[in-house]
Amino acid sequence: MIAERVELSDDQLDSPLGRTSPVVKLAVAFGWLAGLALTLHPLPPLILAGVALAAGLVFGGIPPALLVRGLAPLWIAAAGVATFNTLFSTSNSDPSSVALLSLGPLRVSVDAAVNGLALGLRVVAIAAVGAVFTLTTDSTRLADSLVQQLHVSPRFAYGALAAYQAIPRFAEDLTSLRQARRIRGLRGGWHPRLLVGVLVLAIRHGDRMALSMDTRGFGCGPRTFYRQVRWGPLDALVGIDALVILVAALTVGG
Amino acid sequence: MTGHLELDGRDVRELGTVGVGERVGVVFQDPSTQLVMERVEDDVAFGLENRGWAVDAMHERVPEVLATVSLVGQERARSRRLSGGQQQRLALAGALAPRPGLLVLDEPTANLDPAGAADLMTTLASIRAERSATVLLIEHRVEEAWQLADAVLALDASGRPIDVGPPDEVAARSVRRLRAAGVWLPAALEPKHRPGPLRGLPDPDRGAGATVVRADAVRYGYDRARPVVRDVTLNARAGERIALVGPNGSGKSTLARLLVGLLRPDHGRVELLGADPARLPPADLARRAGYVFQEPERQFLAQRVKDEVSLGLTAEERARVEPLMDRMGLPLEQFGERSPYRLSGGEQRRLSLACILVRRPAVLVLDEPTFGQDRRGYESLLRILREHLEGGACLIAATHDARFVNDVASRIVELDEGWVAPAAIPA
Repeated sequence: MIAERVELSDDQLDSPLGRTSPVVKLAVAFGWLAGLALTLHPLPPLILAGVALAAGLVFGGIPPALLVRGLAPLWIAAAGVATFNTLFSTSNSDPSSVALLSLGPLRVSVDAAVNGLALGLRVVAIAAVGAVFTLTTDSTRLADSLVQQLHVSPRFAYGALAAYQAIPRFAEDLTSLRQARRIRGLRGGWHPRLLVGVLVLAIRHGDRMALSMDTRGFGCGPRTFYRQVRWGPLDALVGIDALVILVAALTVGG
Repeated sequence: MTGHLELDGRDVRELGTVGVGERVGVVFQDPSTQLVMERVEDDVAFGLENRGWAVDAMHERVPEVLATVSLVGQERARSRRLSGGQQQRLALAGALAPRPGLLVLDEPTANLDPAGAADLMTTLASIRAERSATVLLIEHRVEEAWQLADAVLALDASGRPIDVGPPDEVAARSVRRLRAAGVWLPAALEPKHRPGPLRGLPDPDRGAGATVVRADAVRYGYDRARPVVRDVTLNARAGERIALVGPNGSGKSTLARLLVGLLRPDHGRVELLGADPARLPPADLARRAGYVFQEPERQFLAQRVKDEVSLGLTAEERARVEPLMDRMGLPLEQFGERSPYRLSGGEQRRLSLACILVRRPAVLVLDEPTFGQDRRGYESLLRILREHLEGGACLIAATHDARFVNDVASRIVELDEGWVAPAAIPA
């Protein structure tokens, strides 16, 4: 998952969510996550996850297969969180709680099951919101918008962008070093030297990248912007809708 | 630094990094370390944004420069999806955009296939015709560069100038000294009958020599849906010298790795001296085959040159290290303690070759073996390869270097988008 970077299609980028300011989408994501922390009810995360996924499909132009594939490992994680919290809840051993299931020594109370479900759904919600954000947000536009709208330092934003572009490279470096060990007759598997090698290569790549960015005048003075990012009605619409949905979800969950 | 260096009549120390950056555009060897933005036009604009150009001026200038480097129509393309040649022209566009007075290109064609290199040189010729900037080109491949130059500065291995002046005058005055220093010259200035170092080797005709590598309908894709090597069938015999040629991205490096079992084919099978190389224990594989990676840094596993070259060797092989390193121009007393990463590109290439050649494997697979070599490095490599081949080894080299193909190959295999192109005539 680290090795490959999803390349967004024009459908995703030109969709309403694709055109929404990445800063607004980030704010929505963080707002929703903060809201979820306020409740232990399973309904709000279920609603938010459902809305996020539906919005991603309808207003984000995300191909359903891509969404399913991107989230696959997280379904398992969510199921794991739910099971773990259900089985190991303290309310299971509380005789005053209502038993949902009793199998010999195993006793699962209704409270425990509801809490476990809520925590699992919270993971699903976080994953869904994160996936919809990444699958509708162009990395360059994210950097542009962080700098122009949030006034993040360009050195940080574009530096991070350059590093992000280099991620697939690190996986290639590792593969190559492992192959180099094999062809030199050394045992496969993991070796601390591999990590050193990948780090050295990453630093050297960073150095070269920084040098070429410097020769192109990066950080030498006030910057202008080729691609202007401006606030628009779409940003307000998405922001307000997201807030309404969050409040509604929390209200439903009591 | 001693001496005095002026740019636009001002001392460079006074100008500082920012002042120099405003006057100079630089293009480096490796396109992947120069492209910052995801998309072509954004990348061209990057340097203009940094210099505070007005938005309208940028939108006027970007298409102009893209036209200069013939990338019109690619504005919204993702730069990583471009070919190596296109990426290098994009890097050139980025350097040219702010109209620098001086354009410095550091071996810009080193990573490119012949077509990509030719396109880049054509673009440089048109920039020269406009006379809008001074161009300083650092190159090993001098065939085209020599014709474009108003002045040539030749340096020896220790960085001292051998001669400087208009190309014709330098040629007339110093051709002998240039040859002696191992500097590449355009074909017209080379001795007419250059002794081909491998010319004396017997041409292994078909049927002679046992088959050492057998690839049968081999297919491989990093993404299975998009194979980069498609149904390649290739047999190599002992004593054969096969050149794998083809444009960047045609699958040469991938095929090379499949042949030595560093990758396992999705379909088809590979045999190396009768066994599946991908299933051989590493020690056994290393005795049968050697592989030199395209980028030397990606194969280095030790902190010091002498540890790197001795890694995993038997006592018998260890005894060969010193004489081999001497012949490779990397004597251990001088280079042994140094970090492999601190060597020049050409030295790194020779070290990576030495690591493999010292084992004398039966099958040698080399990816761009002559990268960054001056004539002296090239010729010592050929002498060492010759000895090795006389002992019955098989050489398979993926290369863009037409000179190497001509000097070494007994058979040329051309790849195109993963397919083997119809057989070429042996060199």
